[in-house]
Amino acid sequence: MPLAPGTSHTSDFAGRSWSEAWTEGRDTPGDCIPPSMVAPPSPPPPPPDPQFVLRGARSAVHALHFCGGAQGQGHPLLLSGSLHGLVHIWSLQTRRVLATLDGHAGKCVTWLQTLPPGPQLLSQGRDLRVHVWDLAEGRNAIVDSVCLESVGFCRGSVLACGPQRWMLAMPGKGGDEVQILEMPSKTSVCSLKPEAEARPGMPMCLQLWQLVTVAIRIPVLIPVPVLIPVPNPVLIPNPTPEPVLADSSPLPLLLAGYEDGSVALWDVSARKVCSRVACHEEPVMGLDFDSQKARGVSGSAEKALAVWSLDEQRALQVHGTHQLTNPGVADVRIRPDHRLLATAGWDHRIRVFHWRTMKPLAVLAFHSAAVHCLAFATDGLLAAGSGDQRISVWSLYPRM
Amino acid sequence: MAVFDTPEEAFGVLRPVCVQLTKAQTVENVERLQAQLQAVSDSALQELQQYILFPLRFTLKTPGPKRERLIQSVVECLTFVLSSTCVKEQELLQELFSELSACLYSPTSQKPAAVSEEMKLAVIRGLSTLMHSAYGDIVLAFYEPSILPRLGFAVSLLLGLAEQEKSKQIKTAALKCLQVLLFQCDCQDHPRSLDELEQKQLGDLFASFLPGISTALTRVITGDFKQGHSIVVTSLKIFYETASFVMADEQLRRVSEVQAKPAVEHRVAELMVHREANWVKNTSDKVTVLIKKIIECVSVHPHWKVRLELIELVKALLLKCSQSLVGSAGPLLKALVSLVNDESPEVQAQCNEVLRHFADEKVVVGSRAIADVLSENLHSLTTSLPRLMNSQDDQGRFSTLSLLLGYLKLLGPKVNFVLNSVAHLQRLSKALTQVLELDVADIKIVEERRWNSDHLSASAETLASQPWSRIQRRYFRFFTDERIFLLLRQVCQLLGFYGNLYLLVDHFMELYRESVAYRKQAAMILNELIVGAAGLEVENLHERHIKTSLEDLREIVTSILEEYISQENWYLVTCIEAEEVGEELTVRQSGLQALTSGAHTRQLLSSPAFSQPSPTICSMNSNIWQICIQLEGVGHFARALGTDFRLLLMSALYPVLEKAGDQTLLISQAATGAMMDICHACGYESLQHLINQNSDYLVNGISLNLRHLSLHPHTPKVLEVMLQNSDASLLPLVADVVQDVLATLDQFYDKRATSFVSVLHALLVALAQWFPDADNLGQLQEQSVGEKESHLSRRPAALEKGLENTTTAEDIEQFVLNYLKEKDVADGNVSDFDSEEEEQSDPPRVNEDDTGPDVEPPLPVQIQIAVDVMERCIHLMSDKNLKIRLKELLPQKSPPKSWYGIDPSLEFLCIFPFAFLPSTCHSW
Repeated sequence: MPLAPGTSHTSDFAGRSWSEAWTEGRDTPGDCIPPSMVAPPSPPPPPPDPQFVLRGARSAVHALHFCGGAQGQGHPLLLSGSLHGLVHIWSLQTRRVLATLDGHAGKCVTWLQTLPPGPQLLSQGRDLRVHVWDLAEGRNAIVDSVCLESVGFCRGSVLACGPQRWMLAMPGKGGDEVQILEMPSKTSVCSLKPEAEARPGMPMCLQLWQLVTVAIRIPVLIPVPVLIPVPNPVLIPNPTPEPVLADSSPLPLLLAGYEDGSVALWDVSARKVCSRVACHEEPVMGLDFDSQKARGVSGSAEKALAVWSLDEQRALQVHGTHQLTNPGVADVRIRPDHRLLATAGWDHRIRVFHWRTMKPLAVLAFHSAAVHCLAFATDGLLAAGSGDQRISVWSLYPRM
Repeated sequence: MAVFDTPEEAFGVLRPVCVQLTKAQTVENVERLQAQLQAVSDSALQELQQYILFPLRFTLKTPGPKRERLIQSVVECLTFVLSSTCVKEQELLQELFSELSACLYSPTSQKPAAVSEEMKLAVIRGLSTLMHSAYGDIVLAFYEPSILPRLGFAVSLLLGLAEQEKSKQIKTAALKCLQVLLFQCDCQDHPRSLDELEQKQLGDLFASFLPGISTALTRVITGDFKQGHSIVVTSLKIFYETASFVMADEQLRRVSEVQAKPAVEHRVAELMVHREANWVKNTSDKVTVLIKKIIECVSVHPHWKVRLELIELVKALLLKCSQSLVGSAGPLLKALVSLVNDESPEVQAQCNEVLRHFADEKVVVGSRAIADVLSENLHSLTTSLPRLMNSQDDQGRFSTLSLLLGYLKLLGPKVNFVLNSVAHLQRLSKALTQVLELDVADIKIVEERRWNSDHLSASAETLASQPWSRIQRRYFRFFTDERIFLLLRQVCQLLGFYGNLYLLVDHFMELYRESVAYRKQAAMILNELIVGAAGLEVENLHERHIKTSLEDLREIVTSILEEYISQENWYLVTCIEAEEVGEELTVRQSGLQALTSGAHTRQLLSSPAFSQPSPTICSMNSNIWQICIQLEGVGHFARALGTDFRLLLMSALYPVLEKAGDQTLLISQAATGAMMDICHACGYESLQHLINQNSDYLVNGISLNLRHLSLHPHTPKVLEVMLQNSDASLLPLVADVVQDVLATLDQFYDKRATSFVSVLHALLVALAQWFPDADNLGQLQEQSVGEKESHLSRRPAALEKGLENTTTAEDIEQFVLNYLKEKDVADGNVSDFDSEEEEQSDPPRVNEDDTGPDVEPPLPVQIQIAVDVMERCIHLMSDKNLKIRLKELLPQKSPPKSWYGIDPSLEFLCIFPFAFLPSTCHSW
């Protein structure tokens, strides 16, 4: 349609002006933008604004998750978990709360995740419960729950294994274990316990994903253009990522960030650590992994981001670190199209980077308290939840 | 009088009279015969018809000079006989016909004989009666080619009478008689309809007369208006019935190329016409000329019945001769269309009826030819429209626009043929935009101010009480008549209804962006397009036309709305504000370059208003009108979308509410009107309800705009209005936004404190209203009243002090010292409260939950807000500049505004002594 706003912009997306345009995003002096990128001498443009702000969570927001068009409405939803144990379901169309779920006894909700088959929701709370909610047709009922054995801050992770089967990773007992369950049967698959001499401390963040066998990274006949965004949900690596050779079986792997600042790659079926690398001095607060580029990023309590990659021998290697102005990264998220990286800072700011080059693009200053969590929608919308009880929603370079 | 039923009896009576008449042809004898005839029954008369007619015909046929009086009486007698009997023999019919027409024959001249009017009337009646008395079969046989010369004579005779006679009676009678002769009589005596063959025969025959009839009647029709409307009406009727009969597409289709050899003598054969293609073309050309003449004359005829008949003419000709008279289609449609807005309701109704009929029958849509003609007409009209609008007077403009409207109605969905051509669309849009140019020279537009800051609902009520004044009167450069504006709006609505909305909106949006000169007009047109597209106020003539889907409409409205409320189109300079000119203009000039959302990333052009160093009255007027039109548009959009507009409230409500508080009267009126529209469309009971239900959207806008206060200086006003119209249920939202307000205030103590103080005042008043005194606080009430009084008594002193410190530096110093001393005292005395307060002033109160049950519960949110506000007010109190300015602004109000802010907060806080104590100590 000729009237659509922003169409003039889309042509720029892959082209030259896409990086130039970012220079408008400015931060307080001394932040990470190199001098060459600072805007021209003309009066500074006003700082960017969120597209809209969701108010009404009534307490700090600790978990966010986008859910595309569930409940038969066709309009995307945003789920938020609050410090006071409530889960709010927001309609992104009306920007209002559709429903509120109360199932964590007033304890902080730390992780939210919808499951691919049907509108089911997983919510993890600090009341040591992971609830499975049925949200179909307006129902808001807990259909199942799993007990946790650790009171850490570690969020769980799921991986779909089949049409009605999925794997759940969550912190296990003993402080340093990770427990893998098969759902919905709740049978324990295994418990991943680091070797005694490693002493990595508690797991801080987890991410399950499926290995794309190393051999298929060099297929000559199957073109895998890097620029085509694979529809990849934010938290779950795509169950069928990239075209694979027929004989390569899915191999569940787990990335875990630990209290001592290291990131480890676990082979879940073999129950052993494939590789481990020390990324940070402080505990790892969040990590995200791009299975397409075999590259991941992690943030910790210190003022640096670590970018690491996975080579063909499944060995993790630190690629480089990226210094920030202020310490403390609560969450890192790679946009589903693998173009942008966003970090949630304790300094109330959201920082946006070009994921491939790690060039800083913008610093989004809106919140008046630490940003606790981030979420990307499949269409590129970014939501950030903060201690100031607000959720800001940003439209960063909307994609077509 | 005896009645003679049997022929025998009658014969007995009539014989002597007839004999006598044969012998001596005198008027007396004729009259005697007629007197006797009165007594004879119809059946008897029928038997004796031939016998009685004989002496009468004999009298007519007798050679030699005859007295006119005698002939007249004979004709009258004949007429009487014929009226009671039937003519069953063809020969008799023919002979009588010739004899009667011969009565008016004058051998010397072409004109009817110079006889008395009574005579003429008698003959005309005689002919008419004769034709009525003839048996159906005989009549048909009568119209054979051989009769052509005689019939032609009669027809031309009657035409001559109708045209040249003075007497209205004769004219009417002649025309009636002509109708009978041409099978157009509308009386009950001719029920039989003709079959195809008969129609063709008659058509061939009448074709010979068409030129004569049409020209003569045209002369009659275009004659003096004073000749009476009934004559014109009848003439029109004969004209179109004849033309549509002879030129009927249906008949012409069956006419063979080669003329059949007529079985008549040569002289008659020459008169015969063969209606082949060439003839049709020639005739059609000539008839077209006549039709144009007629339309030109009749469409402005003062009598409505004549104009009504014109509609019938158009209908008949277009329905029956759309192919043969294709050249006339343009003028005919134009005539029809220009009558759509006739002053007579009957004509209007009939016109609409016919238009609807055409639409149903697909006369226009079904026939490519007419659609082409129509679009051609439309095109030529749009081409000349700007010129016409310039040169014509209001009446002329009115009829021109009526015509345009009619074309659009008639073309219906086919209007897209015209619109799809770039040239056509451009001409149309150029015409519309030129006509709609507003006169912006009036100084009153800028002058009129809304000085009293009425409560929103009050102004809404005044608006509602006079709904007709809702549409603000506009002054256009090229016309003054309100009806013309109405027509223009209808035109746009029809375009929106039938046209390709995407195409049109795209075009006018382009125009809107292109230049300031067209922006207002384009916005007006866009507004009406949307109203039309939603099917409001549009009468649909084309039943199968599918309206624009709601989905598409919503999409389009969203994009227009986005354009309207974008920075450079919404925030225009409308007045020179003493408080705000200065560095802000330069800030604004830099334009907003928002980085994030798609809506904002479009490259903004700095508005022309900003590029001028000092806006002229004209440009400010123009800006005011533009904003008003856009506001009206928002109202229209709401009406078009109905409850679907609720989704757009998140972007639209804030800007509209902001404009409702604008100082310019027109803008604030328009904005209030738009709010009312939104209210009705979205199903809210009142403006309060609307604001209350959508406070979250407002808060979103407020909080985002507070971040760019220099760009949005009116943001605090919106919050003020919102606070005035909300209730306690919004406390969490308010608490949220108040944090933003206070944070912004902290940044702008020097510049904008005044507007913030009034917001804070509104906030505290609202808080006091929302939480009067809770039940559990009842016992504290008495105690607090006393306390309050003591403070009130102290206030004048402090007030004095406050005022004094604006005058001399010493006083200020004194005051600050006092203040610090008091603060120290307060800190020392009530340290426990103070620490609590400090703890609360930390924005994230995360550890609230972790506090044990033995710790004092945190203050209620509203109290916390009040305390925060108090803290700010304290700073304001010591601000010298602020006070000086406040005094300038409010010379008649003795207490400075910061007191004005603190006053209700004291009232409110006093019911919570434990929070009250430290804050008030701070204030003193």
